[in-house]
Amino acid sequence: MDGTVQHPTATWDAMPDGNVFYRRQQLYSMPGKLPDLGDYVIAGCRNGGPLALMRDTTKLIAVGRATPAFTKAQIQIYSPAGEGLLLFSWDQGKIIRYGWSFDERLVVLNEEGVYRLYDLQGDHQQFSFGAEAAELGIVDARIHENGLVALTGSLTLLEVKGWEGGRPLALAPPGLSEPPHAWAVIPPDQNISRHVEVLLSVDATILAVDNLESVDQRLSRGPFTHVSPSPNGKLLALLTFTGLLWVVSTDFQRSLAEFDTTSVGAHGIVNQVEWCGNDAILVTWDNLALLVGPSGDTLRYLYFGTTFAVTEIDGIRVISQDVCDLIQKVPASSLSVFRPGSFSPSAILFDAWESFSRRSPKADESIRSIRHDLAAAVNECIDAAGREWEPYWQRRLLSAAKFGWGFLDLYNPTDFVAMGQALKVLNAVRFFEIGIPLTYSQYNYASPSQLVTRLTSRNLHLLALRISSFLSLKPDVVLKHWASAKLAKSKSSTEEGDDEVCRLIVDKFQTLGGGDVSYADIAKRAWEVGRAGLATKLLDHETRSSDQVPLLLAMKEDKLALIKAVDSGDTDLVYHVLLHLHKRLPLGSFFRLIEDGGERLASASRLLQVYAREQNREMLRDFYYSDDRRVESAVLSLEEASRMTDPSAVTSAVKAAHKFFSEDKDRTFEAKMTDESTRLLAFQQQLEKEADGKVTFFGLSVSETIRTCLLNGMAKKADRVKADFKVPDKRFWYLKLHALTSMRDFEALDTFARSKRSPIGYEAFVRHLLEKGHSKEASAYVLRCDAPKRVDLYVDCGDWRNAGRECKERGDKARLEQLKKKCPNSLIARELDHMIASMK
Amino acid sequence: MAVASASTASDVQNPSSLGRERDQSLNLDSLKEIGKKALIDALNSVNGAKTLVLDPTLAGPLGLVTEVSLLKHHGVDKMFWLEPGPLSSTTTNIVYLCRPLIKYVKILADQIKRHARESLKHRYTLFLVPRTSTLVSRILEEEGVLGDVTISSYNLQFIPIAEDVVSLEQDNAFKEIWVDGDETVIYNSALALDTLQKLYGPYPRIIGKGDYASRLATLLSRPLPEQPIPGEFNKPVVTAPFDSLIILDRQVDMITPLLTQLTYEGLIDELIGISNSQVELPVSLLTPPSAPNPANPASLPSTSAAAVTPVNNEKMKKHHLTAATDPLFAEFRDLNFSSVGKNLNRVAHRLDEDYKSRHQAKTPAQLRDFVGKLGGLQSEHQALRLHTGISEILVPITRTDIFNKSLEIQQNLLASYEVSKQTSAIEDLIAQGAEMQIVVRLLCLASITAGGIKAKSLESIKRDLLQAYGYNYLPLLLSLSASPLSILLPNPLPVSTAPSVAASKYPFTTLRKSLRLLIDDNPDALDEVENDISFVYSGYAPISVRLIQCIAQKNGVISNPAEKVLTDEADGKGSSKKLYAHPILGWKGFEDVLAAMPGKTFDIMQKGPGGDSSPPSISSLLRSSEQTSTTVVFFLGGCTYTEIAALRWVNRQHKGRKFLIATTGIVSGGSLIESIAGFGKKGPGSKDTSI
Repeated sequence: MDGTVQHPTATWDAMPDGNVFYRRQQLYSMPGKLPDLGDYVIAGCRNGGPLALMRDTTKLIAVGRATPAFTKAQIQIYSPAGEGLLLFSWDQGKIIRYGWSFDERLVVLNEEGVYRLYDLQGDHQQFSFGAEAAELGIVDARIHENGLVALTGSLTLLEVKGWEGGRPLALAPPGLSEPPHAWAVIPPDQNISRHVEVLLSVDATILAVDNLESVDQRLSRGPFTHVSPSPNGKLLALLTFTGLLWVVSTDFQRSLAEFDTTSVGAHGIVNQVEWCGNDAILVTWDNLALLVGPSGDTLRYLYFGTTFAVTEIDGIRVISQDVCDLIQKVPASSLSVFRPGSFSPSAILFDAWESFSRRSPKADESIRSIRHDLAAAVNECIDAAGREWEPYWQRRLLSAAKFGWGFLDLYNPTDFVAMGQALKVLNAVRFFEIGIPLTYSQYNYASPSQLVTRLTSRNLHLLALRISSFLSLKPDVVLKHWASAKLAKSKSSTEEGDDEVCRLIVDKFQTLGGGDVSYADIAKRAWEVGRAGLATKLLDHETRSSDQVPLLLAMKEDKLALIKAVDSGDTDLVYHVLLHLHKRLPLGSFFRLIEDGGERLASASRLLQVYAREQNREMLRDFYYSDDRRVESAVLSLEEASRMTDPSAVTSAVKAAHKFFSEDKDRTFEAKMTDESTRLLAFQQQLEKEADGKVTFFGLSVSETIRTCLLNGMAKKADRVKADFKVPDKRFWYLKLHALTSMRDFEALDTFARSKRSPIGYEAFVRHLLEKGHSKEASAYVLRCDAPKRVDLYVDCGDWRNAGRECKERGDKARLEQLKKKCPNSLIARELDHMIASMK
Repeated sequence: MAVASASTASDVQNPSSLGRERDQSLNLDSLKEIGKKALIDALNSVNGAKTLVLDPTLAGPLGLVTEVSLLKHHGVDKMFWLEPGPLSSTTTNIVYLCRPLIKYVKILADQIKRHARESLKHRYTLFLVPRTSTLVSRILEEEGVLGDVTISSYNLQFIPIAEDVVSLEQDNAFKEIWVDGDETVIYNSALALDTLQKLYGPYPRIIGKGDYASRLATLLSRPLPEQPIPGEFNKPVVTAPFDSLIILDRQVDMITPLLTQLTYEGLIDELIGISNSQVELPVSLLTPPSAPNPANPASLPSTSAAAVTPVNNEKMKKHHLTAATDPLFAEFRDLNFSSVGKNLNRVAHRLDEDYKSRHQAKTPAQLRDFVGKLGGLQSEHQALRLHTGISEILVPITRTDIFNKSLEIQQNLLASYEVSKQTSAIEDLIAQGAEMQIVVRLLCLASITAGGIKAKSLESIKRDLLQAYGYNYLPLLLSLSASPLSILLPNPLPVSTAPSVAASKYPFTTLRKSLRLLIDDNPDALDEVENDISFVYSGYAPISVRLIQCIAQKNGVISNPAEKVLTDEADGKGSSKKLYAHPILGWKGFEDVLAAMPGKTFDIMQKGPGGDSSPPSISSLLRSSEQTSTTVVFFLGGCTYTEIAALRWVNRQHKGRKFLIATTGIVSGGSLIESIAGFGKKGPGSKDTSI
């Protein structure tokens, strides 16, 4: 291989049927860099990520090996190129399982249900499953990219979604009596239901468990030693104890392939059953890896020693002690261009370009022959370029594509440019010092910005920044990480002044156009490493007050935090600060802080009142009391009174309000009113007693009390209320009118009407009686109304005869004629006629 | 029959869309879609069948974006109101959907604890509208159930309630801001306006009036937190980009809601009550008597579970009042009620003619034509029945003594005519047993227009009020007279009054002149020509809309443009030639008027992503001649149906600009007073507020 670059097909192997090709691409050769993988428990990260290794304590170590004996568990992290990235020791309880998250953090879970997320710098975040899980203990777990599922000591399943320390959710109880033989998890994003599914091998069958139910799939072939779902979650590879490899769809409806692994003559036990992309399965033993294709065809790959395989979306990475390989199905475009004897347009185009570069006239002939398919051929060449590992072949394929499009009238080169950019980035990160062997499809799957994040987490800020600007991504992620790293490094060297570091960071942010970088995050970081001064300085540069608040709180800058929260306009943030301070400060100083804030903190003070009114009335009372807010205190008492039902409690609450009002000389009216209110309440209680508790009075208004008295035949009492509370005559008359009408006590009404001259006139009587449908009774009062209105009122009452008489008395003949026209029946009409006649 | 009803929809749509120029206004459907999508996403995030427990105040707003069937499709097995008391659920998943109010959280906590005592295993998810809240998690923590609940949010923001109106449907916004001092609504409004901006393009200019409006504008001009727009909605095609955002807070014009709205839709709201575009009507009005023609697809089933109060012993049913499916409503809603009857008559005649046209049908082709029209006729017939029925409910109320007296008092107060007599007239209303809200509205109106009520008569009238309706309204009176509201004040102010109260004195009499609020119309003309926005109150122009005219239709403030068009016609110039709207130039020309009013006045140029603070006048000048632009008018604290009607009228006067009315909710004086009275209504004694 030295000097000359081997042809792409050199790595290809055809399946026995000769139609499907797989290729084994050596990514890195790394003799002597990794220890013997057989002695370790390993977790590999997808998308060309690193490996984590931990001594497998169940295995013996040969004496005299170079590896030192560890007293504590140690985890080593290697890049795929065999470079050591990180080494750290574990001081917590026994590690149950570890694995990688999507953002390349190592998730380590111990038997107490505590899990940590380590980034590649060794910084970690710790979360826990909670006390209950700790008691039961965690016996096993499966970690996928966006969460994990743990098996507790009582053989139930707990799920954690995401890596923000979310609360563990219990899945449906699987009803196990012993730990499963093997199990696996299909992550939520690969399930139709969008929720995690757990597959447990129990006895001869498989249980499919999600958060709703546990379904027995009723299989009889088990138990299984390996359960392995494909990367897209559609298929499942199962290996029985008898060595039968069985591929089924994950809904267990279709059986796809079966293969007896004992027939290959491998020695020892099966190490791994892993998927190679979504279409083949790699079964590994020590020294051997066997690729089983969809139709049960196999390819054998020999390795030295134990290997470890990491499934990728488009293949599988196999790491042995001295090489790191990628085994994958040859991508369609590569196959089309390079397959021996291929006559596809892209193959011809590539051939044409080769002829052209050799100055052979054959080029023209070839191009002509594929004229119609040229555009497709160009696209295929571009795609094939993306699939090649060697820059030499990438360049050649791209050149061929470029050559081809010269013959097209119109061609949009966007794809070509994008591919060129992608390859430039990919080649850079594949370099062994960086050691991210990312394929083109993985790059597209995981997104360029994820790649940038991965680089920054390796502290490769310059490369990350260059790639960001090359791909025109926002540089803020990189800058933020850079600044944090800068702070972390400078934490020991205190001689570097706060001003200096602050200036450095601000300069860098401004020049690199990181307008969106949050200074608050950096300031928080500074605070965490114990540089409060620097944190304050950095915080001054933050424009979003909402981001400043949490840190200010942490720094115990209480007042400033509150002011910033109020300024942000986000009431939730204000609540956040208020509730936090309420918890932390003594009540007195908490109140003082708010009261001293004056107008600036007025809205915070009001929010506190809103909260306290519903949730903490005791505090609100204290708050008003401490600030001498008598009116508010009184209103609070009244409010409480309105919520109570017990008469004595209501009365005393109203009395309390009265006391508060009377302490304020501007509130004499309110004081008088609350006094009246207590008097009324007392009187009402008395009334209830007199009515033998049959009538409810308590809490009614003055008017309602009068009405209730009248309705219940306590007219004397009504008069008493009127006198005691100085109810104006008008209101009293209306009340009595309405009450008597509703009782249909027209006799009493008449007496009442005659008792003295009505202060509301008599038209009100007529109108009200009419409204209630008592036209006959209404008509009786018309006579007492103003003369000019009487005719109309009579008409409204339907009393045509009297209306006519009224007209007659007033000598209004025209009106009488009018009435005759409108009158409802001939009987009346005749009568009216009679009247008209008599008027002559 | 089926064929006929299928053709109904299109037939109904056509006249209405032709009648109003909808060609260039913004398409608001995507807002609805976003709301729907977000709800689906929220429901789908909980696996399996679920019991939905719904905040009753959200039912209306949700009914505007979705249907019950959609909820069923996404696993909702049963629905309950979020109410105190036990909750029995057959499903493991219980999903709560509510606004982040403390009382709801306590109910929720109580139900969870109850389940725990009965050792029922449930999985609880709480969706807060529109966003999650520290307060809620804190209270759940205090109640000791935080660990059992998964908290998430359902970001329901602006809901389109008409083709040119979007609303947050926050019914208590006014009370929360001006009485409680809780500014959450302001922040939520800022977020919602920001979402609009993200969907339809930025507001180049933010103009407005009012202290809280200014607060909102400042929030908008600063960076706001990112909000995910669910499903990464493909942005709607913006046909009419924003030229400005006008923000008015309710305090700038307290008078308008205090008056009785006199447009058709406004009067329905005043007298029957419209909540979330739905009105409760007798069933007999809503169901066609004979034909099983589903002419009312609008009658939503979503709120059918709501409390049904039998009035007049007839069953009531909610009806969704919308111009989209009801052409007659589109025609009538903004008319002064006095002319509705005449128009109903006209429509009835026209329908009759149309029906009769079948007699002229001689040939089979003509007959087919007629049959084709039949569906449309029948649905129009049904609509006519509905609106006649509604009018029949309204008319008797408008004839009552109390209604007319209160109108008379309003008109007199607006004209400052015999002010002291009006106070005694209000006292008479109390004596007659008028509704509490009517009395309080008039009282506040008297205070604002006259700069306070004489201390002595104020005191006696307050005493009357408390005696008549209950002493528990004392806090209401205190709130009304306290800062920042200060709409019920004695005159002269006592010496001890806080300076903030004194400063908020409203210069009504000056405004009446400078903004031409009262129009001396002869009532006959009013019916025929919509002369001015004052038609909505039969001769009084709402200040809020006048202020908007100060920005967007300056000549409309000074004189009647409609009249001018009339004279132009007389001169023989182009009859239908409307003037182009002038570009937005801020408050120019009315600075003095604005300065005299309490509250901050502001005019902020937004830095666009492209040109910085370059004068936008040139671009807007250019734009106005070529393209229609949209002016967003945001009412912080709610707006009335009359204000919407008046703005629509302004809209019709010129081309080149459309208004998009955005509000925290639809209010009326009654709803404002009742929301402030709040707890008083729940008081033990006042179950029946009318005597």
